[in-house]
Amino acid sequence: MSTTALLEDTKLGPKAGGLYRHQNFLTGIITGGLAMLVGWLIAHYTLQSNANWGSDMVVTVTMAAWVVGFMAGIGAFNAVFRWMIGHDQDHEDELYAAGVSQGWKRYFKFCTDHKVVGTQYLVLVMTLFAVGGTLAMIIRTQLISPNNHLISPQTYNAVISIHGMIMIIATIIMVSGPWANFILPIQVGAKDMAFPRLNALSLWLVVAAVPPILISLFIGGVDSGWTTYAPLSVQSPPGQDAFSITIITFVVSVTVAGINTITTTLTMRAKGMTMGRLPIFVWGSIVSAGLGLYAMPAFLAAQSMLLTDRVVGTSFFAPAQGGAGWLYENIFWIMGHPEVYVILIPGVAAAMDVASTFSRKPVFGYKIGIGAFFGLAVLAIMVWAHHMFTTGWAPNLADPWMLTTELISIPTGIFFLVIIGTLWRGSIWTRLPMYWVYLFLWNFIIGGVTGIYLSDVPADQYFHGDMFVTAHFHYTLLGGAMIGATAALCYWFPKMSGRMLNERIGKTAFWVVAIFFQVTYFGMFWEGFQGMPRRIAAYAPYFHTANVIATVGAYGLFLGWVILLYALIHSWMNGKVAPSNPWHAKSLEWHISSPPPLENFLVDPIVTSDPYTYGEDEAATPAKNPTPATVGSSEEGAH
Amino acid sequence: MSSNHEDIKREQIAEAVEGWTHGGPLYRRPAFRIMILVVLFSAFGIWAAAFFTDKIMPSILSTQMGSVHDTVILFTVLAAPVSALVYAIAAYSVYKWRRTGGDEPPPDGPPIRENTLVTSLWLGMSVILVVVLLVWGMTALSSENQGQLKPVTVDVYGQQWLWTFKYPGTGVESNQLVVPTGRQIRFVITSYDVTHGFWPNSLGVQVDANPGFNTYITADPTKTGQFAVRCSQLCGLYHAYMDANGKVVTPAQFSAWLISQGASSSAANAYALGGK
Repeated sequence: MSTTALLEDTKLGPKAGGLYRHQNFLTGIITGGLAMLVGWLIAHYTLQSNANWGSDMVVTVTMAAWVVGFMAGIGAFNAVFRWMIGHDQDHEDELYAAGVSQGWKRYFKFCTDHKVVGTQYLVLVMTLFAVGGTLAMIIRTQLISPNNHLISPQTYNAVISIHGMIMIIATIIMVSGPWANFILPIQVGAKDMAFPRLNALSLWLVVAAVPPILISLFIGGVDSGWTTYAPLSVQSPPGQDAFSITIITFVVSVTVAGINTITTTLTMRAKGMTMGRLPIFVWGSIVSAGLGLYAMPAFLAAQSMLLTDRVVGTSFFAPAQGGAGWLYENIFWIMGHPEVYVILIPGVAAAMDVASTFSRKPVFGYKIGIGAFFGLAVLAIMVWAHHMFTTGWAPNLADPWMLTTELISIPTGIFFLVIIGTLWRGSIWTRLPMYWVYLFLWNFIIGGVTGIYLSDVPADQYFHGDMFVTAHFHYTLLGGAMIGATAALCYWFPKMSGRMLNERIGKTAFWVVAIFFQVTYFGMFWEGFQGMPRRIAAYAPYFHTANVIATVGAYGLFLGWVILLYALIHSWMNGKVAPSNPWHAKSLEWHISSPPPLENFLVDPIVTSDPYTYGEDEAATPAKNPTPATVGSSEEGAH
Repeated sequence: MSSNHEDIKREQIAEAVEGWTHGGPLYRRPAFRIMILVVLFSAFGIWAAAFFTDKIMPSILSTQMGSVHDTVILFTVLAAPVSALVYAIAAYSVYKWRRTGGDEPPPDGPPIRENTLVTSLWLGMSVILVVVLLVWGMTALSSENQGQLKPVTVDVYGQQWLWTFKYPGTGVESNQLVVPTGRQIRFVITSYDVTHGFWPNSLGVQVDANPGFNTYITADPTKTGQFAVRCSQLCGLYHAYMDANGKVVTPAQFSAWLISQGASSSAANAYALGGK
C-alpha cells in the first residue's frame, strides 16, 4: 500500500464537486419534505374542490413532489443539469462524486462508487426486511386466535398489502442491489459500473420510493393486497395513490439498475475475461436483470393505468365504464411471474458459486446451468396466466398454461443438478456460507414440489387463493431466493466490510432460522390443506391449531434473523480483520484487498482461466491468478 | 492444458466414478447408502402427503375434490423420489466428505466439470415427469361428467361481503348453498361490486365472481355432507367474514328443502329431479 498512491488519498481542491459538497441524505429529506409541502398546498387549493377525486389527486401530487424533491435535494440531477448548461463536471468533480476524501459521509451521499452503492443497497435491503418482517409479526400476532381484535380489518388489509409489497421490493433488490453492484464489477474485472451515476440514481430512487408506501398505511391504507386487483383497488382509500407512486418510482430504479448491470458485464470485462470465464453468479445476475427489463415495465403500466383511473377518471379497469378487472390481472401477472424469477435467479446463482468454493470443486455443469437461467427466463414470460387459473379467464387455454408451467420444473431441476453435482465428492468445508446452501436446497425443493400441485389446474381449483399458496411462495422466495442471498451475504461479507463474520453467532442464527422456518410454513401448509383463505383477519375455530403453530414459528424465525443481524453488526464493528481471500476462492474479487480500494484494480487484471480451477494441476493452468491484479494490502503474494 | 494434466483429470474422475459403485462391500458403497436415504425420504414425503390429504383436508364431496386428493397423492409419489435424491446426495455429501471449520480450506476435490451421462439422465427424467404431470392434468380437465340428467343450474352472486344463491325456476333465493348428489351442478357466477372468489371448498372447485359478466364452473357432488363456501379473493374490509354454509343432500332432500324455502312443489320437483 505504501508504494502505490491510492485514489482515495487524492487531495481535492476546495471547490471540487460544486453543489455536491453540500448535498446529502439530510438535504434530500429536507428538500423532499419542502417539495411535498408545496405540492400539497398547490394541490389542496386547486384540486381539492373536485368532489370526485380530489383527495386522490392531492395525495398523488404530494407523493410525486416528494420523489422529485428528494432526488433533487440529494443531487441526482446536478450533473445532468450542469451538462445541459454547458458546465460539465471536471475530473475533480467526478472524484468528489465517487466519494474521495469524505470518509463515512460518502455513505449518505449520491455517491457514484459502486462499492458505496452496494453497501448502501445492503443497508437499505436490511431496513426493508426489518420493516416487512415487523409487519409480518403483526399479521401473525393477529392470527394467533380466531377472532383477534389486535388490529381492525382495515388495518389488517393495509398491513398485509404493505408487508407483501415491501418484501417484493426488498427481494427484487436483495441480490442485484448489494452484490451485483459491489461484487459483479470486480468479478468481471471492471473499475466501476458502466454508468456510475445511474448506479447511484437507481439506489436513491428506491430510497425515495419507500416513504410513500409507508405513508400509505396512515392515509387509509391499501385494502387489496400487494396485487391490488382492480376494480377493488380503483375504489380503495387514498393509500393506493401513494402505493402507485412507490411502484412507478421503483420500476424506474430497477430498469436503470438492470441496464447498468448488463452493460457493465457486456462491455467492461477485463482482458481475457471471456463470457465463458464469468463466474456463474454474473450470468445469473445479467439474466435476472434482462428478465427484469422485460417484466417490470408492465408493473409501471398497470399502476399508471390504475392511478389515472383513480385520479383523472380513465376507466381502464372500471367495469361499469367498459374497463376490465381481467385486463389489470393480465398486465399485473405479465410482470408478476417473471418477477419471481428476477428474484430467484441471482440467489440461486450465488448459491452455486458458494457451493463451488466450499466444496473445493468447479461448478458442475456450468454451461447447462447458464442454459437453465435462460430457459427459466424464457418460460417465465409464458406462464403468467397460471395465476389466473381460477379467474374464469380463457378456460380453453388451461392446457397450454399448464404445459408451460410444468416445463418450469426442467430448468429448476437443473439448478439442483448443478448444486448437488458440485457437492458430489467435494471437500465440504463447513463454514457458515455453506450452511445456507444446504438450507437453500432443503427449502427450495419443498417450494418447487408444492409448486407442481398448483400448476395442475384441477388441484389449483382447490388450493388457489388459500394459505397453501402463501406457504409455497414463501418457501421459494424466502426459503429459496432469500436463503441463497443470505449465503451470498455471509460469503461476501468479509470482502465488503473488511471483517470476518462471527461464525459462532452466525451458526446460532442459522439453526434458529432453519428450524423455525419449517415450523412456520408447516403451519401454513396445514392451514392451506384445511382450506383457510389467504389474507383473512379472522378465521373459523378449526384453523386455530395450525395458526398457532405458524405464529409460534414466525416468532422464532424473526428471532433467528435478529440474531443474524446482531452477528452482522457485531462483526462489522468488532470482527476479526479479514484477509483479502479468506475462503481461498478464485474469482477476481478475492485477489484484491478487503475492502477493495477505489477503482478496485490499480493494474488492469489479465484473466487466463475461469474461477473454477479447483483440483486442476496448477502448472497446467498457468496464470489461474491474474498476475498483475494484486494491489493494496492484498496477501495474494503469499500464495 | 498439457496432456499430463488431462491424464490426471481423467484419473481423478475415474476414481470418482469408481467410488460411486465399487467401494468395498455393498453396504459401504455410496450408491447403496444414498438409495437407502432416498427410500427413507420418499417414504416420509408420501406419508406426509397422505396424512395431509386424508386427515387435514375437508372431506371429499364431489368428483372434483376426489381428483384434488388423487393429484396430491400422485404428484407426491412422482416428486418424492426426485426430491429425496437431492436430499440424500446433499445429506450424504455432508456426512461423508465434510471437513469441519478451520481457517484453511481442505484440499481440493476432483475437478468434475460435467458429466454428460448424468446430465442427460437428469434431463430425461425431468421431461418424463413433466409429460406424466401434463397428461394427468389434461385428462382430469377434459373428463366431463356425461350425466344422464341435465345439470342443475345455481346462480351465484357475490357482493361485499355476502354470498347469495338463486335456484332459477323455483324462485328460491338463499344465503345457504344446497346442492343434490347424482347431478352435475352448473354454477353461474357473478358479482355486484368487486371481484370475489367463489370457493365451495369440499366441492374442489373455485372461480372468481366478476362484476358485469358471468363465469362458470361445474361440480359433480357424490356424497352428502356439510362444507364451507368461502371468498378466496381479497374483496375489502370484511373479506374474512364472507363465508356461507354449504350442504350436499340427496335429491329428495333437495326438493324438500326447496319447498321449505317457498318453491312450489311442482317447480321444486322439476328442478331437483330434473329431466333428460
